[in-house]
Amino acid sequence: MTVEKRRWLSDQEFPEILSFCQFLPGPNVVSITVCIGTKFRGIAGALAALFGFVLIPWTVGFAVGVVLLHYAYAAALYGALRGIAAAAAGLIIGTGVRLLLPQRRRPSALLFAALAFAGLAFVHLPLILVVAALIPLSIAAAGRESPPETA
Amino acid sequence: MTAAAVILVAHIALLSLISFGGVPGVLPNLRNFVVIAHRWMTDQDFANCFAIVQALPGPNMILLMGFVGWKVGGLPAAIASAFASFAPSCALAYGAFRWWERVRASARQRRFRRGLVPITLGLIIAGGYVMARSSSGWAPAAVTLAAAAGAALRPRLSPLWFVTAGGALGACGLV
Repeated sequence: MTVEKRRWLSDQEFPEILSFCQFLPGPNVVSITVCIGTKFRGIAGALAALFGFVLIPWTVGFAVGVVLLHYAYAAALYGALRGIAAAAAGLIIGTGVRLLLPQRRRPSALLFAALAFAGLAFVHLPLILVVAALIPLSIAAAGRESPPETA
Repeated sequence: MTAAAVILVAHIALLSLISFGGVPGVLPNLRNFVVIAHRWMTDQDFANCFAIVQALPGPNMILLMGFVGWKVGGLPAAIASAFASFAPSCALAYGAFRWWERVRASARQRRFRRGLVPITLGLIIAGGYVMARSSSGWAPAAVTLAAAAGAALRPRLSPLWFVTAGGALGACGLV
């Protein structure tokens, strides 16, 4: 929409913002709207984008969801929710694996992904410990394998 | 707000700042916090919230925080939790974006990205894995596997197909 209809952003700018926001913490779509808002109007743009994008869908979704949660243990809905949760968990796993595939020739990348996965899924380490310990190491390893290029 | 709600909101605000790669990566931590450490809801309640936000349109992970807040402390906690899930990370995004625009394409930025990507992906996969484990039996596992294969091999296929199929199978009592 911002790229194709209004031409506010170029074909190149949008993926750049997208990939940038994937590395930031927080809900991705929200970071994306904030970045686009920032690009046009600074902090006011960021705030306007935020409220337009979050406030209304959230309110509607929340109202519907509270009703659904109230009946969550009725047989049919309970089954449906189990099915949806199973499928959604699979989608998250599959997306993660697909995004990891381009890194498969980098042993250090696979190692750090495996460490992060195992630390959370099996060892149940605190998230903040995993993040704080692995990110600096991983960035250092990435620096060693590709000597700084001149951009 | 109750003391429990304040603790929850503070925790979500912290998670917001360390949820590299998006919210799925912090799901295991959030589940531990509300289900095991504080016993505010059952594992099944948490799985229900997770399922509902996948079926609804809109910013689903912010909604998830809203539902968790709702279970812990009603509407005020729901709104505060939702807000805490994105406000800190948005402030960071705002600041980081301005910095990023300046160092764009520098060698340091490339290295940073190459280092961060594997970690975020490991966290995301762990999030999916932990949520998949919350229901047992071969049928949910099969649905999870099918959806994972679909997302990995057919990225252009809308995820809603898998969510709908999972929901339909579940509603028929098959999952």
